[in-house]
Amino acid sequence: MTITLTQGILIAVWAMIAGLDCWLQAFYIFRPIIVCTITGLILGDLQLGVIAGGLTELAFAGLTPAGGTQPPNTVLCGIMTVVIAASNNTAPTTAIGLSLPFAMLMQYILLFYYSSFSLFMSKFDKYAEEGDAKSFKRLNYIPLIIVVLSFGIVAFLSAYAAQAPMHQLVTSMPQWLTHGFELAGGILPAVGFAMLLKVMLKPQYFPYLLIGFVVASMIPFSNVLPVALIGVVFAMIEYYRSRSDAKTEAKLKELETKGDDMEDGI
Amino acid sequence: MTWKMVSKVEDVKSDKKDGKKKSLFTNHEISMLGIRSNLVQASFSYERMHAPGWTWAQLPFWEKIYKDDKQGLKDVMTDNMEFINSSPPLYPILMGLLLTMEEDHVDRTTIKGLKNALFGPMAGIGDAIFWFTIMPIAGGIAASIAKNGNVLGPLLFFAVYVFLFWSRIPLAHLGYNLGTRAIDVIEDNSKIISHVASILGLTVIGGLIASYVKMSLTINIGAGNGAINLQKQLLDKIFPNILPFAFVFLLYWLLRKKVNPIWLIVLTFVLAIVMSALGWM
Repeated sequence: MTITLTQGILIAVWAMIAGLDCWLQAFYIFRPIIVCTITGLILGDLQLGVIAGGLTELAFAGLTPAGGTQPPNTVLCGIMTVVIAASNNTAPTTAIGLSLPFAMLMQYILLFYYSSFSLFMSKFDKYAEEGDAKSFKRLNYIPLIIVVLSFGIVAFLSAYAAQAPMHQLVTSMPQWLTHGFELAGGILPAVGFAMLLKVMLKPQYFPYLLIGFVVASMIPFSNVLPVALIGVVFAMIEYYRSRSDAKTEAKLKELETKGDDMEDGI
Repeated sequence: MTWKMVSKVEDVKSDKKDGKKKSLFTNHEISMLGIRSNLVQASFSYERMHAPGWTWAQLPFWEKIYKDDKQGLKDVMTDNMEFINSSPPLYPILMGLLLTMEEDHVDRTTIKGLKNALFGPMAGIGDAIFWFTIMPIAGGIAASIAKNGNVLGPLLFFAVYVFLFWSRIPLAHLGYNLGTRAIDVIEDNSKIISHVASILGLTVIGGLIASYVKMSLTINIGAGNGAINLQKQLLDKIFPNILPFAFVFLLYWLLRKKVNPIWLIVLTFVLAIVMSALGWM
């Protein structure tokens, strides 16, 4: 199928809404699982959107903006995965790989804004010094508008304007390359998990990582809830242990100071 | 629910203790503070991070406090334009807490010092809870439902985050009602909470590595009838999912060597395409 102009505009509008949310992080509708579903709805194939959403969400699990890194943009990745899968009849797993350049393009645009929006700061400082609340509030809309428009424009150009060359590229890809992209989509979550581990993993937490891995390998289940519950069990045990430890410590300190007092007395 | 109950109890307590003292803000206004806390990232930049959005979110409240005190408004705005970077979902507590102090006209340097002392530790707790625990669990479960084409997957995910969006309101009330007592609560619990959240998060990540990283070799070793399938007859016999686990740790090692995550993505694609071209995967 080809993307009609109306669909292109609707996608751009959706990209602006999800993009605003991506910037503010309020409702988390910028995550692939939601972005793909709505894009599927726009293209008239909800089923494809939902499936692609599940797969892309997994590929992006762990690719989070926490810890000071800006990952490839989930809004563009979600939109383009569904657009490429729908317009070229490719498997969503292959489409995830192909959508990544678009996601990186948006990532670099946002990184550019993170640096260049520093230019607004002197203006903000000036309004603050003058106590000019009205202008201060108004100035905050400018970065927001720039960001939202960028999302709309990039999404429209990627989804609508670039569809012909994209189609040509996808159909001319040899089988081994398509399969390679499909494999990459399956391995990609490893990058996110490695990034999470870099922030979270300390030697004393390694046993928990290992038990989660072993349990999930031994008891194949359709989701991670059983593993999460085992994690809750450990967390609860550790919570009560830490709390009683803290109490004991406080008591020890009390005794110590009392002991000191007595020694002073003698 | 529990947050709300706690804040109500505290409400009664503080009313009794302070006797006549009446709050300048209605319940509804404090709820709006929780909603407005979503604006903190509006003018995000590396230089000041959340500062302009943080100031914007609270500006209407300061305008009310410093209605007849232009210099007071100037001071509070200037102070809050200083660098701040914390976990967005936890900002309502901090805003509520600082608003009580602002309302009581506590000394400016005290307020500033407190703000700077709290936003760092709160960022740690928030990231551990929201990005590393709730996100992998909610995303993982919703995605495993959605993968089969079931629309309940995205709906479930949306429901979780709408709930978290509204949780900002009770959090704002909590911060506002606890006031300076919130400092003790945060300091007492921050270490335990981030410790416990790390345990839960890492258990889940271990499970996610096993369930969601797909690597499986198709290559056979040997020829003819003696050929063995490397994956089924060797690797799976040692331990299932040993390949994904090893690959995650290879990437982890590269990250610790300060390799840019973008190169890890490139490496993943090159590896997948090469393996595909060779017919090994």
